[in-house]
Amino acid sequence: MSERVINPDLKFVNEVVQAGGESMKKCFQCATCTVVCNVTPPDNPFPRKEMIQAQWGLKDELFKNPDIWLCHQCSDCTAYCPRGAKPGEVLGAIRKMTLQRYSKPSFLAKAVGDSKYLVFLLAVPVVIFLLILASLGHLSLSSIPRGEDGSIVYAHFIPVPYIDAVFIAAALFAAIVFVNGVLSYWKDMAGGGLTKWQKVHGGGFLGAISSTIGEIISHNRFRKCDLTNKRATSHLLVFYSFVGLAITTTVAIYYLYGLHWESPYPLTDPLKILANVSAIALLIGIGLVITNRLKNAEKAGVGSYYDWLFIGVVAAIVITGILSEVTRLANIAALAYPIYFIHLVSVFFLFAYAPFSKMAHMVYRTTAMVFSKLSGRE
Amino acid sequence: MAEQSVLVIGGGISGLTAAIETAEAGYDVFIVERNPYLGGRVAQLNKYFPKLCPPVCGLELNFRRIKENARIKFFTLAEVTGISGSEGNYDVTVKVNPRYVNDKCVGCDACAQACPAERPNEFNFGMDKTKAAYLPFEQAFPFKYVIDANYCKGDCGKACKEACKYDAIDLDMKPETINLKVGAIVVATGWNLYDATKMDNLGFGKVKNVITNMMMERLAAPNGPTQGKILRPSDGKPAKNVAFVQCAGSRDENHLPYCSYICCMASLKQVTYLREQYPDSKAEIFYIDIRTPGRYEQFYWKVKDDANVKLTKGKVARITEDLETRDVIVEAEDVLTGKKIKRTFDMVVLATGMEPAAKQSNIPVISLTQDGFMVQSSQKGGIFAVGTVKSPVDVQRSVQDATGAAVKSIQTVRR
Repeated sequence: MSERVINPDLKFVNEVVQAGGESMKKCFQCATCTVVCNVTPPDNPFPRKEMIQAQWGLKDELFKNPDIWLCHQCSDCTAYCPRGAKPGEVLGAIRKMTLQRYSKPSFLAKAVGDSKYLVFLLAVPVVIFLLILASLGHLSLSSIPRGEDGSIVYAHFIPVPYIDAVFIAAALFAAIVFVNGVLSYWKDMAGGGLTKWQKVHGGGFLGAISSTIGEIISHNRFRKCDLTNKRATSHLLVFYSFVGLAITTTVAIYYLYGLHWESPYPLTDPLKILANVSAIALLIGIGLVITNRLKNAEKAGVGSYYDWLFIGVVAAIVITGILSEVTRLANIAALAYPIYFIHLVSVFFLFAYAPFSKMAHMVYRTTAMVFSKLSGRE
Repeated sequence: MAEQSVLVIGGGISGLTAAIETAEAGYDVFIVERNPYLGGRVAQLNKYFPKLCPPVCGLELNFRRIKENARIKFFTLAEVTGISGSEGNYDVTVKVNPRYVNDKCVGCDACAQACPAERPNEFNFGMDKTKAAYLPFEQAFPFKYVIDANYCKGDCGKACKEACKYDAIDLDMKPETINLKVGAIVVATGWNLYDATKMDNLGFGKVKNVITNMMMERLAAPNGPTQGKILRPSDGKPAKNVAFVQCAGSRDENHLPYCSYICCMASLKQVTYLREQYPDSKAEIFYIDIRTPGRYEQFYWKVKDDANVKLTKGKVARITEDLETRDVIVEAEDVLTGKKIKRTFDMVVLATGMEPAAKQSNIPVISLTQDGFMVQSSQKGGIFAVGTVKSPVDVQRSVQDATGAAVKSIQTVRR
């Protein structure tokens, strides 16, 4: 066996502790975690090796290791850990650090991960929308034009071109950050080059991608969890309601620009039905996410600020979204416009900061799953 | 002036040693023992360290010293219900539960033969049954039968009584309360085995061929339920391929947050029982790290050198059953190779940890840690903790500790 010199990166060790992995030093490598984990591959299983890599500050080993994303934080390891080392939470912290490393600019990643910058992050959309409203003279309720029958029309409050400009810019920014992040992440996982590693998956790239998508749409990995097995349902609801809302948005663009039909749409319109069903599914889904988390907190850990920020933003979006619609239909302007304003701020928050928030797991986890299939890891 | 006698709570190896040492130095001693016999956990072992002799070799000698010493009085089936006073002058109340058998008993077994009822044998951890009139074990001291009133109901008592030629059975016995005045108190209440069913991933209570280390002692003991043959519970087949699961409950904040000290040595010892009994047998010990303090290390080397003994670094975290063969499937990660493994065994022994008995025994005045151990420094004057009531230890250290407590007690009563 060749000799190997370990160079512990102590700064990195402290960073893991800061990121919510403070329990990792309690680990004594008994390997209970790897045995109770139902989602790890049997060879070189996680999370025991990740725990020692984190303790020893083996930063590169952790970052190029797709296993941290194969972990779905079932928390069975945390529940059975004899030392309270909480491997599930440690891997969660390392995932957060992965985003912070690959999603640039890194100051934004730092800001999203730290509660003291929340005000600044919120200030960006608040200021943008306030400026728009001020330029339109819509800061007082009476000056906002109503629909023909006197009803509330949000498109009159902030006209569509403004909304489009802001959100297209936000989405474009997020997309560029994601592409850049995923490319450099892939490079690191592949060991320096994009093409140097050995492809093992029989179906090649497309096969690996389709098998990953199959796993995501069925959520079968979540179902292997013991302690948090109810999460398969709540996450599935949230996931599919996001899909529903994405379809809604796409069709709405077609309605507006293809059919030249302006919102609001009647409640009986198929698009509106899809939108409302998705919103209610999202409300139930995020409600279940919150209650499941609180119920399992003693055994699985409460989760970090980072987790709760994301849950909070999603909850804010769905609650203000539904209330915007309800108050609009009830024609209560004093509530409708402010709620709609908060709704826009929350949606902006989700979109623009997606590559730095927990939302990014969607992209990085998918990337790592494709990589691990392609490289024969699983 | 201080009372000139000493109370010893617990008649196991620690309590017996403290009592005998104190009495042989010329002081009166009372032993209060909860069981119907003296000897405690040591009596249940097949062999014990450091000499690996059967318990009779140590206990027999102690029992003789008790018989020969008029200064020692002992109460079995007894518990301390009250302690008041202070260092040098303690008033103690002891409740003695009825044995239903008096001193006329000669141990002829006639009552047991006539007894129609049975009871689970807790001395063998429920692996067999005795009659409701029974002798706890062959070498029991006092050598007197007991009637278990929980199981001997209705006409059962009458049948036993009629069978006794010596008028030794007294079904009218009532619980008695005894008041003692003592100068010092030695607490040696010992330990219980942690309830292995609490580890829901290790299969105990669900998988028939998963047993505890103390059950293994009884299986290997010549006076045990199988007369010393290591047979697995499901079908009585010789268990020749056995896994030992270390830290089953110990060093685990969900169960016992401390190391139970003896379990590594116990498993290594039990591997030798197996290997000596069946030359073609195999044993595998799954461990986090093997803890063999001090000179015990040499014993570890000896066992490790046996080609049929495998030591695997990795804690077992899941145990299931092959429903057809009743074999036991053990899952662990072999940490040295980084592979998850699943292996099948005839039988699995959980190296279950020690839980201080004081946690359940509710002895008045004594203060315990959260885990149920007694801390010497927080006790009232003249009260001394000995052996496993303080911390998990082996027999050798318990005995040394007991001698120390005897000296402390004597100092107290001489003051």
